[in-house]
Amino acid sequence: MDFILTGFRMAIELLLHGDAETYSAIFATVRVSSYSMTVSLLIGVPLGFVLGYLRFPGRKQVRVVVDTLLSLPTVFIGLVVYAFLSQRGPLGDWGLLFTLPGIAIGQTILALPVVMALSASAVENMDRQLRVTLISLGVNRRQLLLSSLWEVRHGILAAALTAYGRVMTEVGISMMVGGNIKWHTRTMTTAIALETNKGLFAMGVALGLVLLAIAFAVNLSVSFLRKRV
Amino acid sequence: MTVKDAVYQVNEVAHHYAVEPVLRVEALAIPQAAIVGLIGPNGSGKSTLLRLLGFVEKPSRGEILFKGRPAAPFSKAVRFKVTLLSQEPYLMRRSVLKNIAYGLGLRGSRDNLRLRVAEALSWLGLPYEVFADRQWSELSGGEAQRVALAARLVLRPEVLLLDEPTASVDAISVERIKAAALKARDEWGTTLLIASHDWQWLYEVCDEVLQLFNGQLVGPGRMNIVLGPWQARPDGYWQKVLASGQEIVTTAPPVADAVAVVDSDKIAVVDAIDSGRDGKNMLKGTISRLVLEKGSRNIVATILVDTMPFAVMVPPKRVESLNLCPGREIDIYFSPNSVKWIHQGDNTHPNKSGS
Repeated sequence: MDFILTGFRMAIELLLHGDAETYSAIFATVRVSSYSMTVSLLIGVPLGFVLGYLRFPGRKQVRVVVDTLLSLPTVFIGLVVYAFLSQRGPLGDWGLLFTLPGIAIGQTILALPVVMALSASAVENMDRQLRVTLISLGVNRRQLLLSSLWEVRHGILAAALTAYGRVMTEVGISMMVGGNIKWHTRTMTTAIALETNKGLFAMGVALGLVLLAIAFAVNLSVSFLRKRV
Repeated sequence: MTVKDAVYQVNEVAHHYAVEPVLRVEALAIPQAAIVGLIGPNGSGKSTLLRLLGFVEKPSRGEILFKGRPAAPFSKAVRFKVTLLSQEPYLMRRSVLKNIAYGLGLRGSRDNLRLRVAEALSWLGLPYEVFADRQWSELSGGEAQRVALAARLVLRPEVLLLDEPTASVDAISVERIKAAALKARDEWGTTLLIASHDWQWLYEVCDEVLQLFNGQLVGPGRMNIVLGPWQARPDGYWQKVLASGQEIVTTAPPVADAVAVVDSDKIAVVDAIDSGRDGKNMLKGTISRLVLEKGSRNIVATILVDTMPFAVMVPPKRVESLNLCPGREIDIYFSPNSVKWIHQGDNTHPNKSGS
């Protein structure tokens, strides 16, 4: 039990004393998750809207594929992205292996199905009277799309939070594609894995608590935002 | 009425969901600034017709002309002129003020916004200072319905389509909604189409009441509908026996489960058994209500025969001479030959398929 209590103490010390290595991991985590979340939201929300709103041939099949991708193992994504970005891979020339953008590509693949599936569900559960109401009030097609999207904003926010949770806590992609390079591609989760391997449980717990604190801060902000809009 | 005079001209319109046909209207014209009522049982196609006339959906077949020109959902000719209040109105997840101002914003009409919202709310008996900042989730069912109507009235539409506007709201809301809807016609010349089960209200306010059954217009709202099945009689007629043992006698139906339509003009109220008639369709019933019809100034008596309501047109003098009043037992009569037919799945207009 002692190492857990020590972990709490160390977490506070690491944050308060501005431990450079810890902050490097925090910044790497925040940067890489910001990249991946931005891309996955920009692509995933419109695709999720289309999937939930429109009725087109093959829609159910696409939905099954997207739902299946929700359970993609992070190590498998890491493996595939590694294969593509390695020198022998088709995208080897891009030089993205063992870089934060490289990790972001993997995390985008992880987050995209989550954003798409949950956005599509939010849109599917949208009150069917909304469309009638909006058209009755005089919207054009573009306004219909934007207003409908705005009405399901809480559902989309929930999709974003869920995806963010997966991205923040994954370790397989960061480890395989990033290589866990100190000061460079070491994220919070890969740092925790490393410290635990070294037997430094307290340090691992401390980093885990910091990760939890970041997640808490993000959720708190979103909760505040939800009340405002 | 010429096409030019009509705000709507419906030509050979049919609509279906998946493969299920839900509406077929061969021809219908709605005059400008008229109040037209739609009545009919649940599933008769009232809401579908209103959605088509509101240009929320495009008919599967046929065309709807708006002021003589073909129109479709999102077309400029109708977008800012026609508005529909559906049976379960949806309030957007925002305040009452923003809900009502939404349509004005779409039209780029933001002058005196708060004043106009306050005025629209006042028509529905909702004080601005109490309701403007309330969230959509903080309203009762009746208040939400009134706010939804205010959001339409503030637009001063040329056509206002109301789908069961007084269903599931309290008595105060009903009165406010009725008064506000009529105000639109009286002050701005708005054409009103109202689907409602409230016959009394429709007869009182409408210039014309149309009846729908099984996705078809069966004529003016005074048509009486009698569901099958029908049984053949030895004398060549067919009959439906009511729980009390009374028999409704008709000519041969096209199919055994056909629906009989009897015009209220063809039903007579009699004060005693009339030996001059053949004795068929002398039915004993109880008057449940008397309503003055706006257009003809005749009185529409609703007479319950067992549990089946018959609407009967009665001139005011006859009401007086027979001392008709709700609760009184009375006999009605109609000839079996006056029955017209429609049957499930058939789109034949009853006026074209005589007995």
